[in-house]
Parts: sequence; structure tokens; C-alpha cells
Amino acid sequence: MTAIADIFHNIGRMLTYDPSGPMLFSSGTFWALFLVFMPVYGMLRRRFWQMVVFVVAFSFFFYYKSSGIFVCLLGATSAVDWLLSKAIARPGASRRVRRLCVAASLLTSLGILAYFKYANFFLWNINAMVGSNFQPLDLVLPVGISFYTFQSVSYIIDVYKGRVAPTATWLEYAFFLSFFPALVAGPIVRADYFLPQIRENRHATRSEVYTGLWLIILGVVKKAIIADYIAQYNDLIFQTPGGYSGFETLMGIIGYTMQIYCDFSGYSDMAIGIALIMGFKLAKNFDFPYKAQNLTDFWRRWHISLSTWLRDYIYIPLGGNRKGTARTYLNNFATMLIGGLWHGAAWKFVFWGAMHGAGLAVHKASKPVLGRIGDSWPVRAASWLVTMTFVALLWVFFRADSWADSWTVVSSVFRDFSAAYIPAFAAARSLWLILMLVIVVSHCLPTRFWESAQAWFVRSPWIVKLLIFIVVVQLVIELRTESVSPFIYFQF
Amino acid sequence: MKKHYIALWALLAATFAFFAVASAFDSPSIGGHKFKSSGIADALFAVPEPEPCEIPAIGDSATATATRPAFPAPLDTAAQTILFIGDSMLEGLGPRLAAYAEKNGHTLYTVIWYSSTSEVWGQSDKLAHYMDMVKPTYVFVCLGANELFVSDIANKRRGYVRKIISDIDTVPYVWIGPPNWKPDTGINDLVAENASEGSFFLSNGMHFDRSKDGAHPTRSSAALWLDSVARWMPQHCAHPIRMERPDKASGKARRIFVHQPNER
Repeated sequence: MTAIADIFHNIGRMLTYDPSGPMLFSSGTFWALFLVFMPVYGMLRRRFWQMVVFVVAFSFFFYYKSSGIFVCLLGATSAVDWLLSKAIARPGASRRVRRLCVAASLLTSLGILAYFKYANFFLWNINAMVGSNFQPLDLVLPVGISFYTFQSVSYIIDVYKGRVAPTATWLEYAFFLSFFPALVAGPIVRADYFLPQIRENRHATRSEVYTGLWLIILGVVKKAIIADYIAQYNDLIFQTPGGYSGFETLMGIIGYTMQIYCDFSGYSDMAIGIALIMGFKLAKNFDFPYKAQNLTDFWRRWHISLSTWLRDYIYIPLGGNRKGTARTYLNNFATMLIGGLWHGAAWKFVFWGAMHGAGLAVHKASKPVLGRIGDSWPVRAASWLVTMTFVALLWVFFRADSWADSWTVVSSVFRDFSAAYIPAFAAARSLWLILMLVIVVSHCLPTRFWESAQAWFVRSPWIVKLLIFIVVVQLVIELRTESVSPFIYFQF
Repeated sequence: MKKHYIALWALLAATFAFFAVASAFDSPSIGGHKFKSSGIADALFAVPEPEPCEIPAIGDSATATATRPAFPAPLDTAAQTILFIGDSMLEGLGPRLAAYAEKNGHTLYTVIWYSSTSEVWGQSDKLAHYMDMVKPTYVFVCLGANELFVSDIANKRRGYVRKIISDIDTVPYVWIGPPNWKPDTGINDLVAENASEGSFFLSNGMHFDRSKDGAHPTRSSAALWLDSVARWMPQHCAHPIRMERPDKASGKARRIFVHQPNER
């Protein structure tokens, strides 16, 4: 009896909010819960309201597991947004009332985000500027708030612009805002794309179910095997800036460049895969970004749901490219600045965004010159090298704890670079190098290869899929660190 | 429910069941490689810890008292060759200990073995190898963070803890206990019981600012942690050495050796 009581106690503990253990798609707790979720969802899929209630309840529980009491904030935000969206779309509502409702919604959503994410940043800057002594507030950033706030903002604006009709019930809106696969770290889901899918009310096809599983496996490999493993070395470099030789530091910088890609795109793959198993399509969030040969192309491939959001709700409303060349550059720069600040409340993120904005402006300005150079392979190789060097260098400022650390890391590469370290490095970090090679090769393979691999997996017998899944899970267990690394984008 | 939903559910359930059942048994070895366990059984069948209560200050805890010598030992003022081994906690502690080493004329060699445990070190000959290579006159160990929640730890790990201590041989050492973020299942008591008097620093009960993973102290917090060890040494350590507080926040070890989790 005691043993059974212990088991129930342990299960209860696993289901309770634990600030040190957010629920990750690659965690055992999530998979155990998903095993319970799936059959119930499968049975309710055609019973529209029961399905909606069940998914919303599960999503809220998922958020509670990751963010505790802030689940109430999510509920309140969704209720306020939904009521205001109804008021905006009410027949006969005056333009003034509709605008007031939009302002109220934006003020609520962005106000909450600003308070939790930027209040202390604001206080630190005030203190630094005027020498005041405001104490920082004891704030915890609710997980995923930046993602769902952007979803809420786009929904309200789309309703105001008439691009989307408001949902008939709060439950449907809550379903959209809290949809658990995309809740805590995106992709940022757009209402016009997602809401019709809720009403479609259809089962996923066999192909979608196994494509979903394929994406989950890819995501687990990227996040839990590659990113978490190579992170151990990268962390060493960034936590002891200047403590390593130039070559080792360079490897750390390249390593972090690969880590952040695998970490975030791995999470996105898992989110898209889980949604697909449930019969919902989420748009692609990454498209081999490190294949990009210029910065504009990079931002078309990296975190696509964020870049398109920034384009549609900031860049275009600012005037886009419709107000002359100088204004276009300025709009680009301002958009990227906001994009940088979205990533975190620190000057390093502002700098990161500003540099990308400046880079985009420089690329746009130099297009006429670049166009005359031609498109031979040496030009493409040089373009790729310049783009990747720029992107990787800026990741240093994104990752390092401070300005001083960033400069130390960058300068270490040039100060103490010696090829003599290469053999020893290769011997000591063979697995790290192999995993890095895997990422490079996977980027070099043509898209056709991945499509064929996916089609093969979908067609393969059940037992083959099972064996692949078991091997991947065992690899995760073999390589996992002592504590699960949260997704880098959780903090945003 | 659609047939392919059932098939997918069966696949996920079979995988989960496979790892849950496998975790209840000793992990098999193939070609010298011992497969790691998923830990599902440990997590399910672990005896619940009592709710955390007021954690006694270090000086009052039974463990700390048991490892404290009766009176301060004389200070060894010689420059030491220090070997610092352990898990990823050394990322934070290492640079600060390096600063102490630079300030006090010691030479520091650091060996970080990620995800390592007393079991991993106890099963390998790495410590003996580094003892032989570095020929340290002083050893710091920081291990235990990766085995806070191992059930029946006293029986499972006692031999390995003793093996580590016997590898250190007669060289004076300090074993820095793990920075508990939850109550442990006995690793602190196990090390305290087996370490010689005045050689175990209990970190449990200290306050740490944690990094994003919720486990590792931040770099500044880890520096304060090492400062606490340095303050503890003159009064409570069996073999205190010069540990004057450095002005620099961090320093560089003479060499840092890094081992990845899968290495044996």
C-alpha cells in the first residue's frame, strides 16, 4: 500500500508546477501525458465542442506546468481580447469605438508584456541615467508571453482590419491563443491561417500523423541530442571568456551558431509535428537559414513566423518600401530594432537587432552593385561566407552575458589563434565535431533528400518506426546532460 | 478513433513501456558501453522526501559537525599544485578557484567531466591518471549534483565514493558537496560518512542564484560559493592552505581538461 501511495505521490509531484522543470516536448512527463491525451483527443475529434473544451483544458494545464499561476494571466488576456474583438466587429460600432477597443486591447496585451519583460530594464536605465536608486521589481517572466502576446496583437488588428472574423465563442479564441504545441515558444500562429482549421473539425490523415511523428523525431534529434550536447562545450567558452585559445573560442562561436539553430528549429519541428498529429497545420518556421547567401535571404529562412509578423504588423504599417529609399532603410532598421528588443530586455538584444537592421539596409543599398558582379559559384561562396560570418559574430553578442564578455570572446579568436590546437581539439571533442558535421551535412543535402526521407518514413512498417523511435530516445538518454536544458527561446 | 491514431498511440506507448520496464533493471552493457537508464522507475518508485523544512545552517548540521575537526589545523603556507575534479559545477567554481590560485601562488589544473557522478569517476581510472600526471599536492572534488535523486544511493554509490577517496590517496583534499536545489536522497550523508574528518564542505542549505536550468549557480553565485569554501577552510578544514581572497573575479587554470558525458 505504501508503495502505491508513493507512486501516486510521485505522479502528483510530476503534475504539479515546478519552476525548475518547465514541461518540454522532449521530457518524459510530456510524453506520458500525451499518451493520455491522444486517445481522448482521437475519440473527441469529431465532437466539436467536447474537443475544444478538452484541448483548451489540456493547453491551460500545459501552461500551468510551465508557468504556474500565470495561467490565470493567460485566461484573463484571452477573455479581454475576445470581448474587445467582439466589440470591434459589432455591426454598427463607430470607428471611434472600434479604435478605442483596439487601443484598449493593445494596451492590455503589450502593457502586461512590458511590465513583466521590460519594467526592470527600464528601471536599470533610469538608475544609470539619473543616478536614482529604484530597486528592481521581483518579477518572473511568464513563459511564452512574448509569443502569445504577438498572437493576440495580430488577432485584434486582423479583426479590426476585417481580415478575420472574431470567433463566436471565447473557447475558440482560447483554443487559438493557448494551443499547447505553439504556446510557449511558437511558431507564432496567425488567426487567419489557424481559426478556419478549428472549424474544419477533421481527423489527421495517416500521412499527416506519421509526418508529424517524423517531425517530432527530427526535432528531438536536433534539440535533445545535438543542441543539448554541443551546448556543453559552447557554454564553457561563453562562461569563461578569454579562458581558451583562439581556435577553441572560434569553435565555440560556430558551435553556438549551430546550437541556437538546432535548439529553436528542433522545438519548432516538434511543435509542428504534434499539431499535425492533431490535424492542425502550422506554417514552417525555419527553412535551412544557414544556406542563406545574404541577410535578406537569412531573415526569410530564420524564425519565419516572427519575421513575417514583424513585416506585416510593424514594417508595412511604418510605410514599408512605399515612402522612398531612405525611409525604407529606416523602416527596416526600426523593425529589426523592435525584433531585437522582443528577444529580451537588454541592450545586447537591441544591439543585435540594430546590427541586423543595419545589415539589411546595407544589403538593400548595395543590391545594384551586387547585381553587376554576377552569380558565379565563387561569388555565391563569398556571399555565403560574409553572411554567415556576420550572423555568427552577432550571435556572440546575443549569447554572452555582457558587452565585455562579447568583446573578450571575439578578440580571443584573433589574439591567440594557432592551428596547433586543431589535432588536440579533434581528439578531445570528436563527438562534438561529428555532431557539428551532421548539422553541416544536413544543411548541404538538397531539400529533395529530406522529402524522400520523410516519405520513406511515412511508408515504412510500424515496427521500423518503433525501432527508430526507441533508438532516438536511447540516444537522448545517453547524451543528456544532468539537467534538461530549457529551450533557448523559452526566455523570450 | 482512427486506425492510424491507434497505431501511433501503440507506438508511443510501447516505447514508453520499454523504457519504463528497462529502467527497473540494471542497465545492460554492450562492448564495454553501459547503456544509461531512462530513470522512469526511479522517478515513479522513489520514496517521497519529507517536505523541506528549515534547513540548518552549515555549522549546525549533523553532517557538517561530523566532518569538522576538533580544532583549527595549522595553515600550510606552501604553494600548492591543485587538482580540481568534478562535474559541470566546475564551470562556475573553476574560474574562481583559479583566481584564488593566482593570488596565493598555487597552480591549478581543472578536470571537468560533464554529467559525471561518483559512479562514473569510481568506475574509471581517470582520477588515478590525473593524480599521476599532475602530481597534485591538494585536491578539490565537486561531485554529487547529478545524483541528488538516486534511490538507495548509500548501497549503490558507497563503493564508488570510497574508490574516489582511495584514488586521492594521502593527498589532502576537500570535497565540495552539491548545491542542492531539492532535498537529496542521501549523497551528502554518504560523502560525509566516507570523507575523512574536515574534508567535506556541505553546500546544502546555502542560498544560490541559479542559472536558467534551475540547477547550476550563476557565475557570480558560484564565485560566492567558492568564497564560502575558502572562508570555511581555515577553521574547519583538516588541511587548510593559503586561500586569501583575490581581487579578480576569475582566473585561468594552468590547464583545463574536459570530458564529455559519454566518455569512459
